[in-house]
Amino acid sequence: MTTADPTNDTNPGTGAGAAWRAVGADGRRARTRRGLVPLVLVAATVLAVLVVPPLFPLDQQAVDLAAKLRPPSPEHPFGTDEMGRDLLLRSVYGLRVSLLVGVVAALVATVVGIAVGAAAGALGGTVDRLVMRAVDVFASVPHLLMGIFIVAMFRPGVWPVVASVGLTHWVSTARIVRAEVHSLRGRPYLDAAISGGASRWRVTVRHLLPGVLPQAGLAAVLMVPHAIWHESALSFLGLGIPAHQASLGTMVEAARGTLLAGAWWTTLWPGLFIVVPTLAIAGLAGAWRERINPRRRSELML
Amino acid sequence: MSEPIPAPATGPAAGPAAAPALELLDVTAGYDRRAPVLDGISLTVAAGESVGLLGPSGCGKSTLARVAALLHRPWAGAVRLAGREVRGFRHRAPRELRTSVGVVFQQPRLAADPRLTLADIVAEPLRATGRRAEIPDRLPELAASVGLGGDLLARRPHEVSDGQLQRACLARALVLRPKLLICDEMTAMLDASTTAALVAAVEDHRRAHGTALLAVGHDRVLLRRWCDRVVDFPPA
Amino acid sequence: MTAQTSPPVRLSVRELSVRFWMRGGRTVAAVTDVSFDVAAGECLALVGESGCGKSVLTSALLGLLPGNAQVRGSALLDGLDLIAADEATLARTVRGRRVALIPQSPAAHLTPVRTVRSQLEETVRELTGARGHQARAAAERVAERAAFPADHLDHHPHELSGGLAQRAAIALALVGDAPLLIADEPTTGLDRDLVDRTVDELRRHVDDGHGLLVITHDLAAAERVADRIAVMYAGRVVELADADDFFGSPGPRHPYSRGLLDALPERAFTPIPGMPPELDALPDGCAFAPRCPRADAACAAVPALTGASGRAVACHHAYARTPETADV
Repeated sequence: MTTADPTNDTNPGTGAGAAWRAVGADGRRARTRRGLVPLVLVAATVLAVLVVPPLFPLDQQAVDLAAKLRPPSPEHPFGTDEMGRDLLLRSVYGLRVSLLVGVVAALVATVVGIAVGAAAGALGGTVDRLVMRAVDVFASVPHLLMGIFIVAMFRPGVWPVVASVGLTHWVSTARIVRAEVHSLRGRPYLDAAISGGASRWRVTVRHLLPGVLPQAGLAAVLMVPHAIWHESALSFLGLGIPAHQASLGTMVEAARGTLLAGAWWTTLWPGLFIVVPTLAIAGLAGAWRERINPRRRSELML
Repeated sequence: MSEPIPAPATGPAAGPAAAPALELLDVTAGYDRRAPVLDGISLTVAAGESVGLLGPSGCGKSTLARVAALLHRPWAGAVRLAGREVRGFRHRAPRELRTSVGVVFQQPRLAADPRLTLADIVAEPLRATGRRAEIPDRLPELAASVGLGGDLLARRPHEVSDGQLQRACLARALVLRPKLLICDEMTAMLDASTTAALVAAVEDHRRAHGTALLAVGHDRVLLRRWCDRVVDFPPA
Repeated sequence: MTAQTSPPVRLSVRELSVRFWMRGGRTVAAVTDVSFDVAAGECLALVGESGCGKSVLTSALLGLLPGNAQVRGSALLDGLDLIAADEATLARTVRGRRVALIPQSPAAHLTPVRTVRSQLEETVRELTGARGHQARAAAERVAERAAFPADHLDHHPHELSGGLAQRAAIALALVGDAPLLIADEPTTGLDRDLVDRTVDELRRHVDDGHGLLVITHDLAAAERVADRIAVMYAGRVVELADADDFFGSPGPRHPYSRGLLDALPERAFTPIPGMPPELDALPDGCAFAPRCPRADAACAAVPALTGASGRAVACHHAYARTPETADV
């Protein structure tokens, strides 16, 4: 039949009884599943820090020296620390502080980054060059050093840490936004908008920023784990959250001395509480990046 | 330096009504610090006239179109729209001067904001110039004139074909009733029937509103058929 | 088996259909019951408006359909069904080796940071296993066959003119010596001189014995390169004709094909009224009927593609064929 006249065996509509075959359906299912595990972990984290504190209030000052350094048991699932405090509850409280600092600092950094990057990208020319050299100067100073410098100017607390992390991390967002704005600036649709009478402001707000926001949002999410690590590092150094307050960094710092005595649980749980949620957020951001990647977004091209 | 392209018989006569829609005088333009793409080019489009600019790809005719649409600042030379000297380009050009020229680009996919619906794309110039109130009047009529019917206006660019999107881009260029329409390779990506339909839509609009036309392209047969006169580019 | 002494059939597409599942349960019938042959040393041009399903057909033949597609039918290439073959077979033995794609925009198809020579040599190594001197010599030979000048081999793609970039892309497609070439809109956006040169290049490879399937909306390019024309409308092939008959006398037989030709600026320059139907909402019966000057009640039924070999038309009211061409 292969060399037969193509026109005689054509019978529209019947399809010769051949069945429809799917193409590559499995690949798509794998892609949705990839984001599932991080999503569950992040949801569990958020739920824990929102629900646990109202149900189980923590007295930051209370100590119970009679119950110090107990290994994990049904009564204290994560064990107790050198002051006899329940590690599970303190870890959840510490995670709450870390998440709060991480999210707020990432937001601050993103807003600053978008403003600077969009201004540099949209105005171009000399403004762009000056702003980007300033960004280079900022980026050349190690983050931690500058963070220490900023917290040292204030009384210890949550907000200096937020400011420290936010003011050191906007640089990467500014670069991403500027690059994105630059690539959009050459698009004819912006030319068309200018020709249609749109003002500079309108072009930026209506055409440039919406195109940049998915990338900037991704950068913001990826910054949350970074900010959490930064907060933990500052607190670990004794420069961040005051030592008596539960924070993952202060907990790991306090547990340093007891680790040598064989109390592994005092560092393990806060450590895991730093690592697992941050990896989950990074994983979620990775799944999101795949979604906004235009090559994968278009399923059908005629 | 090349010879200036002779102006048509209907060139600058007396009074502002007869001023040419577009005059480029000795325009030199390029990008960054590279060699100029346009070197001393002159071109005149009389009011209501249609001129085809014919040239091979990469000869700089798109740059010329962008200069004429006030989207690219030339290094030297004068640009006049309806007798008015242009002093600033892009956002530095006064709004009423910018909007007196409509532009259609070669690739509709790049010329349409992917997030907007076709209705929003067409109506955008009205919104940008504070004439939102005219949208309900103007939009359906204009959409019909370029052949965009049914639910097409509610769709986004990735849900329509190149031809349908280019119709929307043409409507956007016409929505402010410009005095000069510039079509930069408007039909290069399109099939014969869509090409003929878009050209017919442009000509209908020009008949109704007296719009002048600068059609840039590489297809001699098409430009001959479409325009009052065809100019070879770069001039011999 | 046909009695004709035609060259061996390279590609034989039979009742190929492709549809897409979209969000919200819509289905898009992009290609419906398409059948055609491409023989060795023959060029078939598939013409039609944008959005008629031409590109989807190419993707199906190369096994490059997206995940939400479903296919039916067959496409036999020298005995191997391209539609049923799995990805490993396609990657190892088909793409580049038995079917080669000449892309729409050669500049985007080439890696911008590497010279033409290094890209050609890499493809030679991948497809033939040749190494070192052999690979270098093979790359130069294939560049010569594609009329790519040897002194430009060490240039980067952005240093090439549009015509040379197109030749570089053709050279890459020729490396595997695939018997079937598929050119997807090879002339879009090129100016007329370049179109003519590109299709003349393609024609040369057809005359060397390659089968060539050209997907295009450019009727002038199709006229210059093709032996036969397949007109596609709303996912179906509505007419198959010899290129000489189609563009000359007696002309196309399907009203849609006539309309396409009449839209050319060198002819009547009148568009076909209306727009092609949406592929997710095809009308019952003949999809062209709403735009057709000859439509009547009979068009409520989908017309079958009927006629002798090489002269088929799917229309209830096809234009007549003149007697002297009727019985070839």
